[in-house]
Amino acid sequence: MTLIAELLISALLVVGALFGLAGNLGLLKLPDTMTRLHAPTKATTVGVGTALIGSMVYFLVFQGTFTWHELLITLFLLLSAPLTANLIAKAYVHRSRGQETRPPSATGAPWATLETDAQAAARQDGPAAES
Amino acid sequence: MTLPLIVALPFLGALLPGLMIRAGRTPCALTTAAFTALALLGLILHAPAVIAGQVITARIEWLPQLGLAASFRLDGLGLLFAGLILGIGLLIILYARFYLSSRDPMGVFYSYLMLFQGAMVGIVLSDNILLLLVFWELTSLSSFLLIGYWKHLPEGRQGARMALAITGGGGLAMIAGMLMLGQIAGSYELSVILEHRVEIQSSPLYAPALVLMLLGCFTKSAQFPFHFWLPHAMAAPTPVSAYLHSATMVKAGIFLMARLWPVLSGTAEWFWIVTSAGLITMLVGAAVALFKDDLKAILAYSTVSHLGLVTMLLGMGTNDAAVTAVFHIINHATFKAALFMAAGIVDHEVGTRDIRRLGGLARLMPVTFGLTTVAGLSMAGIPPLNGFISKEMMLEAAVHTHWLGGPWTLAALATLGALLSVAYSFRLVGRTFLGAERHDYPHHPHDPPEGMWAAPALLVGLVVAIGLAPMAMTGWIVTAAADAVTGQSLHPHLKLWHGLKPALVLSILAVAGGALLFAAHGGAARAWAALPRLEGKAIFDRTTAALAAAARRLAEGSHDGALTRYMAIATVAMVAAGVWAFATGDHAAGTRAGTPIQPVALAGWTLLMVCTAATVVAHRLRILAVLLVGVVGLMVSVAFAYLAAPDLALTQISVEVVTVVLMLLALNFLPRTTPRESSVPRRLRDGGVAVAAGLAVGALTLAMLMRDFALPSVADYYLANSKTEGGGTNVVNVILVDFRGYDTFGEITVLGIGGLLIYALTETILRGGPANDRLLSWPRDRERAGDRHPMMLVVATRLILPIALMVGVFIFLRGHNLPGGGFIAGLIVSIALVMQYAASGFGWTQARQRIDYHAMIGVGVLVAAGTGVGAWFNGLPFLTSAYGYVDPPVVEEFELATAALFDLGVFLTVTGAVMLTLSSLSRVAVRAGETVATRPYDTDPRATQTGGH
Repeated sequence: MTLIAELLISALLVVGALFGLAGNLGLLKLPDTMTRLHAPTKATTVGVGTALIGSMVYFLVFQGTFTWHELLITLFLLLSAPLTANLIAKAYVHRSRGQETRPPSATGAPWATLETDAQAAARQDGPAAES
Repeated sequence: MTLPLIVALPFLGALLPGLMIRAGRTPCALTTAAFTALALLGLILHAPAVIAGQVITARIEWLPQLGLAASFRLDGLGLLFAGLILGIGLLIILYARFYLSSRDPMGVFYSYLMLFQGAMVGIVLSDNILLLLVFWELTSLSSFLLIGYWKHLPEGRQGARMALAITGGGGLAMIAGMLMLGQIAGSYELSVILEHRVEIQSSPLYAPALVLMLLGCFTKSAQFPFHFWLPHAMAAPTPVSAYLHSATMVKAGIFLMARLWPVLSGTAEWFWIVTSAGLITMLVGAAVALFKDDLKAILAYSTVSHLGLVTMLLGMGTNDAAVTAVFHIINHATFKAALFMAAGIVDHEVGTRDIRRLGGLARLMPVTFGLTTVAGLSMAGIPPLNGFISKEMMLEAAVHTHWLGGPWTLAALATLGALLSVAYSFRLVGRTFLGAERHDYPHHPHDPPEGMWAAPALLVGLVVAIGLAPMAMTGWIVTAAADAVTGQSLHPHLKLWHGLKPALVLSILAVAGGALLFAAHGGAARAWAALPRLEGKAIFDRTTAALAAAARRLAEGSHDGALTRYMAIATVAMVAAGVWAFATGDHAAGTRAGTPIQPVALAGWTLLMVCTAATVVAHRLRILAVLLVGVVGLMVSVAFAYLAAPDLALTQISVEVVTVVLMLLALNFLPRTTPRESSVPRRLRDGGVAVAAGLAVGALTLAMLMRDFALPSVADYYLANSKTEGGGTNVVNVILVDFRGYDTFGEITVLGIGGLLIYALTETILRGGPANDRLLSWPRDRERAGDRHPMMLVVATRLILPIALMVGVFIFLRGHNLPGGGFIAGLIVSIALVMQYAASGFGWTQARQRIDYHAMIGVGVLVAAGTGVGAWFNGLPFLTSAYGYVDPPVVEEFELATAALFDLGVFLTVTGAVMLTLSSLSRVAVRAGETVATRPYDTDPRATQTGGH
């Protein structure tokens, strides 16, 4: 039992470390902001996540306590990582205005960041207001 | 009635006129008079005992460490002066009721007057000379308010400033003198000082103390060469002139000279300085008075002259002279106050007080004429009025005094003074009332209503009565006062007829000469106009202008508004002081061994240093600089955690987050980059200063760390007593809310004020003006990003809000025993709220928040104060904490201490101040054209989908 747990924890840690390494390598190597954005999200989600699960298993098996901290940390990570990525992407879109290398948005409407508030409001309320 | 109550009554009375004026002018005056009358009654009740020779005392400890006690004493001298102050005060209140016009704010006037009255009574009843100084300065301040009462008149304002500068400056000198005196005598109690005559006069400090004290007395009592402020103070309303500048305030200096007469007088220094100053003042004042045309100016200079007379008498140092001085104080107060009031009546009824435009009023204003004539003749020293008696006694004293070259010099000069006094008195009465009636008075002159002439009439009655029966009228008080001045038991005999003595001859000479001079006034005036003279006001103005310019040069040289300048000055000064201390003191290397460098710590410190250096390099890119500073802050919090200070770490992290958010908001209104404003040498110089200071602090810290504490550390006490006394195991929190709760209370108050101040500043900017204009025309130089409130962020912050609030509550509750507390909780809750504002925009969020942040600050401070006050009800000092434990279901057992309630106050204030600052910045942003979000998020995916397909 102990051995299995040790193996499991080690595996989780190694996987986490590998994802962390990959994320950081990606951050260094990838060519532009949009692609670079993908790398650290892997590191924060899977990389840190597996380490946290490893920690939970460790405390459960070797200390006999169930710790909530890791779950909370995971929750916050899962909340904050995509938000950060989203905001960075928005900032990038805003700053690279005019250098159109992006594909069109899937909704048919323009990318939200490039719309002014008034345009967005008109588009969303427009049909109702005009009819 | 106890003495402190007598002193306090006028001050209490000062509170009411401002309110009572709403009930009308007469009720206002009556209320004011009631307080004065009550105080006078209290004084009179003590009078029999004082006249019998007792000294009544009362004592309340105030600051015993400084030797300052609220101790009062009432003896004959105090009784005389307090009686004059309160008695004439009562008459002035009556007179002012009729004198002030309906446009003048009467409530304010009476409040100032009562403040002044209280301060004066305080001076004459103080036993502690430090307390006396407090009241002394209060008279300077309150007389400033009274002289400048007609704020719209430039003369009033200038006169008030001049009076404050001169008497206040003299007061400063007197503080030094008083301290020396107290030092010599070993006590600041007058009753002790008065018994140390020999020690004081033989002390090497006697001469400087005497000069400093006399500076205070001479400035207050308008003695040469400081006399010039008094005529300029005449810009005040006449009741003020009559009260302050004839009867009371200008006599404060004389009072003090009389008070300290037993210990200071009798030496050569005292005699020469005081007698000479008094004599010169008497002559100069009388001479100038003769050639003035303004009724009040004549009276002002004549007051200067009579004050000089009393000073001269005090300077002679003999018992007879002291008796005469006391007697003349009474006489001068009666006739001069009456004359001032009469001059006020003339001004009020005729519309001018320039005697070149007056004359012939005797038939038009018979009552005023009668009063002025009697009082004026008393001033001239004509029998059988009281002025005659004291003048005779003065001349008698002068005859017996050797001064500058012979037995007759002083007598001759005193006679000359009396002669001038006769001349200006005649001129005052003659040119105003006698002669032919004129047809060009500004108003139609007539006698005023009874209420206005009642007060001077009463005083003139006294003038006559004292003149006819001096012993019966004033013998008791003169005896008591003179005994108090001289410290002996005297039996003065005041009488109208002194017999054929040299003084009578001199007196006759003075009256005859004065009458002649009045007759030949035209020629004398031309001669006077041809004389060169020094204008006191011009000299004063030049001196103050030069001083102000010098002060401005000094202040603007060091504080020119550039932060770098005074930071540099302060830093260089501190480093220099440290270097000097190091160079001149002993120094041995520290004894403690250094700890080995840990690799983790090294990495942290390296990051810290790199970021700091990067901030210096990149400080022109403001956003980057803020981020770098944020990193530095986070590293500092990590360092706190590493060094086992979790409370500090928590605080630092939350402070860092809030700071970065607020700084980013503020940066919105600054250029994106800082321009290069200083030259290379200047930057090198500033860099040199910074590096020197940094190295110095580093070296100092290292030196501290290498040593053991020089004194036992207070930390052990806190560690040992935190649980037993404060009921908490988190020592940091117990220190904050209990051991040093007073500090925390002060700090949250300051924090609250800071928040309100930022709000007020914003409010002022937005009300209009150049800053507002700049905001309104804020450049829109680059396109703004759309979708400022992304849905993902909005939803996530909504989700996190309850969790964050719960964390706040958790941190708050556990604070007393584990890292946490109100301050950190407040910051955490602020951050939770800031996230809402950031996600959905200020307007949208503000519309949904129902607690006013101003109120939050106020409630926070009040809760903290209330907790502190609560301890009083248990008979314990402010902020003593009590604690107990509760064990509610579901949650763990936790502690409930009053300290937690105090911490709640901290929590509320912190949250309120942070949020108010944020909302202030947001208001500025809205004015600069920021749009207000009306919906929770800008792009609704549902709307997009329906729109897109």
